[in-house]
Amino acid sequence: MDVRFKRDGMTLIVTIEGEIDHHTSSLLKEKIDSRFIMEPVKNMIIDLSGVTFMDSAGIGLIMGRMKRVSSVGGKLSIRNPKPEIIKMLKMSNIYNLLN
Amino acid sequence: MQPVNRMRTEFISKSVNEGFARVVAASFVAQADPPIDILADIRTAVSEAVTNAIIHGYEEKEGIIVMECILYNDHVEITIEDFGKGIEDIEKARTPLYTSKPELERSGMGFTIMETFMDSLRVESAPGKGTKVHMTKQLEYR
Repeated sequence: MDVRFKRDGMTLIVTIEGEIDHHTSSLLKEKIDSRFIMEPVKNMIIDLSGVTFMDSAGIGLIMGRMKRVSSVGGKLSIRNPKPEIIKMLKMSNIYNLLN
Repeated sequence: MQPVNRMRTEFISKSVNEGFARVVAASFVAQADPPIDILADIRTAVSEAVTNAIIHGYEEKEGIIVMECILYNDHVEITIEDFGKGIEDIEKARTPLYTSKPELERSGMGFTIMETFMDSLRVESAPGKGTKVHMTKQLEYR
């Protein structure tokens, strides 16, 4: 699992590569949250194009980041999820909130 | 119906073994050459069941998880068993979005995902004795 960051104006672009499960999500959350606090941003885009597997831990991660971004008046969106990830996001009813 | 193949493996409840379990289950089922999305559903459901055993069954302490896969011509039966805390109210635990550990930012979707991604889900559990999750999946489109 790898995570990279880029800033575009007021938006933090988070690119995740690898697998998101309970094992990897704790470190991912920690890295994303500390970067979000450090940068002068209020919005977040999570790019999932490099995510090869995601289970409900990924839903928890996205929901948690959504709360965090909303708390500073920002917006979270996701980019390039694979079809199996879209299936999971739709099932958890957060897909429409993200797009 | 006679099984075509069967495997059983056990591992300790370390979170790194979530990935191990889903890869082993998917590799075993792959011998039946199912469509890729069916294999993806199995990987996800196994990951959810093993994660539940680690987080809820053993509460992140060390214990044994047993995974058994029985392959038939047209479907697979998978069981994931732990010998941990057990579930007091199975119906409540299966309610979508319910989580007993909100502080962990869990989505409460584990059982819902297993139920949706597999064709059947049965949960046996008793407080103090552990939990056994039985799942089946057809290996071709019906």
